[in-house]
Amino acid sequence: MSAKRNVKDVKLIRRIWANMNVQKTIITITFLFVPLLLLILFTYLPFFKMVEFSFYDMGYIGTRKWVGLDNYIEVFTREDCLNSLKLSGYYLLGSIVQIAIALLFATILSFKPKGSSFFRAALYFPSLICGIAVGFIFKYFYTHGFVFDSIIQLFGVPLDSIPFWLRDTKINNWVLVASSIWRYMGQSMVLFIGAIVSVDKTQYDAAAIDGANAWHRFRYIILPSIRTIVVLNMILSVSGALAVFEIPYVITNGGFGTSTYFVLMDKLAHLNQKVGLASAMAVILLVLILIVSAVQKIAEKRMVNSYSIVSSKKRRRNK
Amino acid sequence: MKNGSMAIALSIMMMVMTTGCNSNDNGSGTANTMTTTYKDMIVGETATDIKAELKILTNRTDLIDTDFSEYIDEFTSMYPNVTIKYEGITNYENDVTTRLTTGDWGDICCIPATVSLTDLGNYFESFGDYSYFENVYELSDSKMYDNKVYGLPTMGNASGIVYNKSVFEEAGIEELPTTPDEFLNALQKIDDNTDAIPMYTNYAAGWTLTAWDSYITGSTGDANYKRNTLIHKSNPFSRQDDLTGPYAVYYTLYEAVARGLTEEDPTTTNWEGCKSQINAGNIGCMVLGSWSIPQMKEAGEHDDNIAYMPFPIEVNGKQYASAIADYCYGVNINSSADNKTAAMLYIKYLTESSGYALTQGGIPIVKGDEYPDFLQSFQDVTLVSDNPALKGEERYFDDINNMSEISFDSDPTHVARIIEAAIDGTKTFDEIMDEWNVAWTKAQENVGVTVN
Amino acid sequence: MKIRHISIGRVIAKTVQYAFLIIGTFSSLIPIVSCITTAFKSDAEYYNTSVMTLPDNWFNFENFKVAWQEANMGRAFLNTFIILAFVLIGNTMLSAMLAYVLNRFKFKGNTLIRNLFMVAALIPGIATQVTVYQIMSSLHLVNTMYGYIFLMLGTDIIAIYIFIQFFENIPASLDEAAILDGCNYFGVFFRILLPLLKPAIVTCAILKGVSTYNEYYMANLYLQDKSLYQVVSTSLYTFTGPMGNQYNYICAGVLITMIPIVVIFILCQRYIYVGLTQGAVKE
Repeated sequence: MSAKRNVKDVKLIRRIWANMNVQKTIITITFLFVPLLLLILFTYLPFFKMVEFSFYDMGYIGTRKWVGLDNYIEVFTREDCLNSLKLSGYYLLGSIVQIAIALLFATILSFKPKGSSFFRAALYFPSLICGIAVGFIFKYFYTHGFVFDSIIQLFGVPLDSIPFWLRDTKINNWVLVASSIWRYMGQSMVLFIGAIVSVDKTQYDAAAIDGANAWHRFRYIILPSIRTIVVLNMILSVSGALAVFEIPYVITNGGFGTSTYFVLMDKLAHLNQKVGLASAMAVILLVLILIVSAVQKIAEKRMVNSYSIVSSKKRRRNK
Repeated sequence: MKNGSMAIALSIMMMVMTTGCNSNDNGSGTANTMTTTYKDMIVGETATDIKAELKILTNRTDLIDTDFSEYIDEFTSMYPNVTIKYEGITNYENDVTTRLTTGDWGDICCIPATVSLTDLGNYFESFGDYSYFENVYELSDSKMYDNKVYGLPTMGNASGIVYNKSVFEEAGIEELPTTPDEFLNALQKIDDNTDAIPMYTNYAAGWTLTAWDSYITGSTGDANYKRNTLIHKSNPFSRQDDLTGPYAVYYTLYEAVARGLTEEDPTTTNWEGCKSQINAGNIGCMVLGSWSIPQMKEAGEHDDNIAYMPFPIEVNGKQYASAIADYCYGVNINSSADNKTAAMLYIKYLTESSGYALTQGGIPIVKGDEYPDFLQSFQDVTLVSDNPALKGEERYFDDINNMSEISFDSDPTHVARIIEAAIDGTKTFDEIMDEWNVAWTKAQENVGVTVN
Repeated sequence: MKIRHISIGRVIAKTVQYAFLIIGTFSSLIPIVSCITTAFKSDAEYYNTSVMTLPDNWFNFENFKVAWQEANMGRAFLNTFIILAFVLIGNTMLSAMLAYVLNRFKFKGNTLIRNLFMVAALIPGIATQVTVYQIMSSLHLVNTMYGYIFLMLGTDIIAIYIFIQFFENIPASLDEAAILDGCNYFGVFFRILLPLLKPAIVTCAILKGVSTYNEYYMANLYLQDKSLYQVVSTSLYTFTGPMGNQYNYICAGVLITMIPIVVIFILCQRYIYVGLTQGAVKE
């Protein structure tokens, strides 16, 4: 009797499992279908099409002509493209400054001084503002004789000796970079705070016994533990620096030598209808980003293998 | 689970889906062929029971709630089943160029300069043969290809300079300048003797800068220059000994900026604000087409002070001004037959009976209509309008223009770069013109035109 | 002696810390504060007083009214709200579903899919718009709300990781128990797991919500008829046109668009911080 029932049970369980396997397949397909469809449709398909376009001389409509690598050659010989690539350097330096400032504030705030939640909120809030609004705010901020100049005048500097922030080509890109730092610093800071908070607290006590000061604590405990995330932030900064768009688009519309790679690409594609050339620019940009990310990945792997136990532990836990 | 193959299958499917839909459904079938031609339409009599909802794209955001709504009222009193909606677009050239590619952008738009003449037929319904329009309308050949007219303007513009008379008097300018250097001296006088900004560039608005391109024809006094000579000319942007031609036009701009005779900070110029400023005498002059005159007059109490002068270039002792069609209205080729008919009726109404040209101070399109007052100061000036290109050469100007990326009339960047270079002194004017020559020559080679 | 020494050191350290914080906060807030003071100024005040002077009347909402009407913000907020409703529900569901499958089932292609999403995160959206536009156009999705919603639905690596992390903390035995009780996998996901995911859903919804609310480029490109499809970010851009440099109106417009963000921020700060941190700890 009981043996019979056992056989029946086993059969039932088998059937359920067989059923379950079919179900598994069905659910995998249904749950993957839409996200993958969207990913392919709006990311990968456009990407491959863009690679194709980059070999043609074409507009949005009309006939197209195969030109081989001409578009790529043109990107590297055009003065404006090279200049806009150079501009990425400004934004890259800016993002290093941004990371440094973010680390400073993150370290201070992660020890929860009085009012830390207010300071954190105030420093983070700009990251939530829409790029167009940031553009307007800073266009106003930097207009001659307006907000920024008024602040400088408070220190007794006469208006005549204050430069035109957006017009003067020696400084206008730095001014735009500063706006970009203003906008994104808070985000890096919050990321860093999160990472610092998860550092094992007993290490600080151990270090305190050894007589470590704040700098030592930062250099030898905090920095190694959050290196992964700092490095991650740096790659994002590289792709961010190459992809700056909204701030120069709204504030200067690319005038006076502030045309970043994307502002230029947008103009070439839409105003000059040089779709092939714009596609080649995009492909080059993506290749650059992929190279940087790959190099970073390899470097990070090496670093993790040879030094940090903390972060490798963390990686294992997170896998 | 074979997810790898699934992803591939998916992507193939998408490829098929997208390429499958790629064929242009432009001008498909007979379903949207009109029964009455523009020529035979009589506004108020033809097809008064027609039903249509029209959407019109316009750059004149300022007129939607005022003049345009009056026109709609008048038109719909004749055509009660037609509704008309305007959509104003600030960044007009750029946005509309992109939108045209989809086919369902609306029924009427002002044809952007980015559309090549040879492509007109892909987007717009033809109004009919030029042989008809030639005899009844002025300036009806600017959007023409293969003898078919695809766009009609509701007015024409004379290209001159709008200025404030009292500022000029206060500065001690007794006679209107007729050469670039006289003009620059006049600006210098304004700078020295008044508080006004001698010349306002309207740099930040962007589209205002393309106004400079309309002086090219006037600067040569040659109706064939822009669409026939320029495409074949070698190094057309070099300095001419008599300081005429394109070089002289942009030289005036560069020098004015370089000598500090324009506003201090072009990055923050204000288009709406400039109207009241010139009206009040805080600005001496602005280089804009005659369409701007009524706007400058209306912007304050000193409408008597707003006047219009020809661009200061003399060709063999004579002054010329380009007369060019304002934005031309085109009718969407993908619209239904009824919508097209209603759209053409509305355009005919705007052109012939709305009084638009007169209120906007433009050159009338209908032959024999009244000319606006300001042109009185143009009595000694000859108006020249561009002749169309020779048959078979229609696409050359657009192709070379786009390929060189100088993009006259559509992209303000080339003018903006002149202002920027004049301010920060990175390039001399001759260097910029040399660059233009190089770009133009290269484009001429690529397009394959003969150069002489 | 030693104790006093430390406390003096601490006082100095504290002072330096607060000096940094105050300078940072000042730079972070001053552009916004100047915007607020300007938004309440009448035309006369705006033209005749310095930027630093405060407005006469803090209840002068005239500029807000003008900005609201001029930029068609009523319509913009309505459209943005509709878009957000669909995008947030769709996107969080899709992300959760995807994360569920990726976390619970081991199948060939699992890593490939993760990597596909990861690489996708490196491709800046604007770069591919030239071709996305063609695809959208051939699918007749341009100039429609659903087309834009469809485009924004796509999930991203950060949301996927937030959910995966959450699934990792829910023991698989829970699923198995439910299955033995007669639940199928769909039931497990929708009835057992989804309710447990609430914090992750809130976090993802906020992150996606903020980025959708602020997205300008694609909204401008694909929602072309601005009289019908104006959204908040594109409505703001209309200020570059007719209002030119009248910053008292522009600032009012900027502030109006910031209000929902401020509210969400105050209410959900914690989720935002947690979400950001979780999304990035895994790379």
